[in-house]
Amino acid sequence: MPPVTELPKLNGSNLRPLAVGLPPMSLEVQARQTDAGVTVLAPSGRLDVAGAPSLKDAVTEAVKNGPRVVIDLEGVSFVDSTGLGSVIAALKLVRSSKGDLRLAAPNQQVRVVLELTTLDRVFPYFATVEEALTDF
Amino acid sequence: MDLLRERTGRGAEDRNLILFETALAEIGSNVLIYTGKHGSKGPPVEYELRLEAGTATASFTDWGPPLHNQLPRAMPAPTSEAGRGIAIARKVLDELGYKRDGEVNYWRLVKRL
Repeated sequence: MPPVTELPKLNGSNLRPLAVGLPPMSLEVQARQTDAGVTVLAPSGRLDVAGAPSLKDAVTEAVKNGPRVVIDLEGVSFVDSTGLGSVIAALKLVRSSKGDLRLAAPNQQVRVVLELTTLDRVFPYFATVEEALTDF
Repeated sequence: MDLLRERTGRGAEDRNLILFETALAEIGSNVLIYTGKHGSKGPPVEYELRLEAGTATASFTDWGPPLHNQLPRAMPAPTSEAGRGIAIARKVLDELGYKRDGEVNYWRLVKRL
């Protein structure tokens, strides 16, 4: 198999699931704000090619209220490379606003993917949301 | 994947099954996206999953564009938002085969469980 270049990904607006046979948008995101002004986003479902745009939208909204964000991954059953991309985009966005991002409660599959991609060095993750909040 | 877990008797936390599912999702979504994006006029994507002697094998056959020049092995920089899918699959599978024959792409994903 010859070595090659990066596969370009479609952006969210092009990913009309019906056009390519993917399931409809598969991620719901709940948001709440702590007394300390940290936004906790709790996505629920698959953080994949179909779900990633929902997280991106939620982070964009959250940063309007403050640049410190925790993503509670307890409800995320599966992450793929596009989902990871949305987390990296979130990190860039909060840091550009002089804030920061913490990940909490990833399941085994999410931890494995973070480790495979060495993104566990970029994203310190915490067992619980409470632990993530105390790290700010 | 539920069927694989049932047949192998392994739980949701089994690392090899997690790795296989992760690779399957990456290749599968690429196949669907590229086939859809380029408006393939061929038949629908064909997909097959086998479990034999403790080895899981998945295959895709699609009529999308040729992709043999788009199979990176290297993981992109940590700040990159894209380009990890094929690299993840290559890293976790025992075999990732790709062949272009005429107008058809053949993919083969193999993982010893």
